[in-house]
Amino acid sequence: MTANLTHYLALSAALFGIGLYGVLARRNAIAVLMGIELMLNAANINFLAFWRFLAPNSVEPQVYVLVVLTVAAAEAAVGLAVVLNVYRSFGTVNLDEIARLKG
Amino acid sequence: MISPSIFVFAPLASAALFTALMVVRSRNVIHAGYWLLPCLLAVAGLFGSLEAHFFVVVQILIYAGAILILILFALMLTRDVMDPKQRQTTKFAPLAVPLCIFVGLGGALMMARAPWPAIQAAAPGPAEQTKALGLGLIGDYALPFEVASLILLAALIGAICLAKAEKEPAAPEPVIDLRGEIELEESVSAGAADGH
Repeated sequence: MTANLTHYLALSAALFGIGLYGVLARRNAIAVLMGIELMLNAANINFLAFWRFLAPNSVEPQVYVLVVLTVAAAEAAVGLAVVLNVYRSFGTVNLDEIARLKG
Repeated sequence: MISPSIFVFAPLASAALFTALMVVRSRNVIHAGYWLLPCLLAVAGLFGSLEAHFFVVVQILIYAGAILILILFALMLTRDVMDPKQRQTTKFAPLAVPLCIFVGLGGALMMARAPWPAIQAAAPGPAEQTKALGLGLIGDYALPFEVASLILLAALIGAICLAKAEKEPAAPEPVIDLRGEIELEESVSAGAADGH
């Protein structure tokens, strides 16, 4: 019994759906960022599954994964800095209570 | 032509999905943060089952090491505002559930119905793979590499600027150490006395 590309792609789609739920439904801004991390992980599984099954001698999918990882790290750093700033000025990190744009 | 075994894939995949569900379903955000760790490790294991050895290490170092620590720190810094007893989801959550089931299951079914070719060739070994990636990053893929480094630099500066306190605390009043002054005066007067 072997796992083929279908298994990995289905898993990645399901993981993406779970991450999307975290992004859409959670109130806490940091929980939303965790949902984004899950979605980026799903994308990485997809890239590496395609690399392994369709083009194991190509470097390109791995470069994509590396760029996704970089963007994920940058997103986490900037996103959490924004959340801390919001917490400092609003006293909350609940996204539905942060409705003011100015002042 | 070695495909990953289903007996490796199935436990890792179910662990990843279960822990991911726990991440988005936990009432306590700190618990959600801690559930993220086994989830990221399961994804690292899946990378291992795909023979992407370099990315197993990178996943553990960057995701489970750096990003997770950052998230846990942010959770701890904002801990007092999120009571697990209060509502954890926005008012759009009932809408989000069918949408996410549609995206997740629909995507999974769509992937399952497509005729994917069988595995093409054996993957190169860990050393060859990593060497090829490193040569690619300074060769054909130098531009994405440089863009990635620029993104990291911009994020570094941006995060520092954002996280810095807006209002500097008022500078404390300079404390005048009288003892030092007295000693100085004494030594000056003593020096003056010596001079005379």
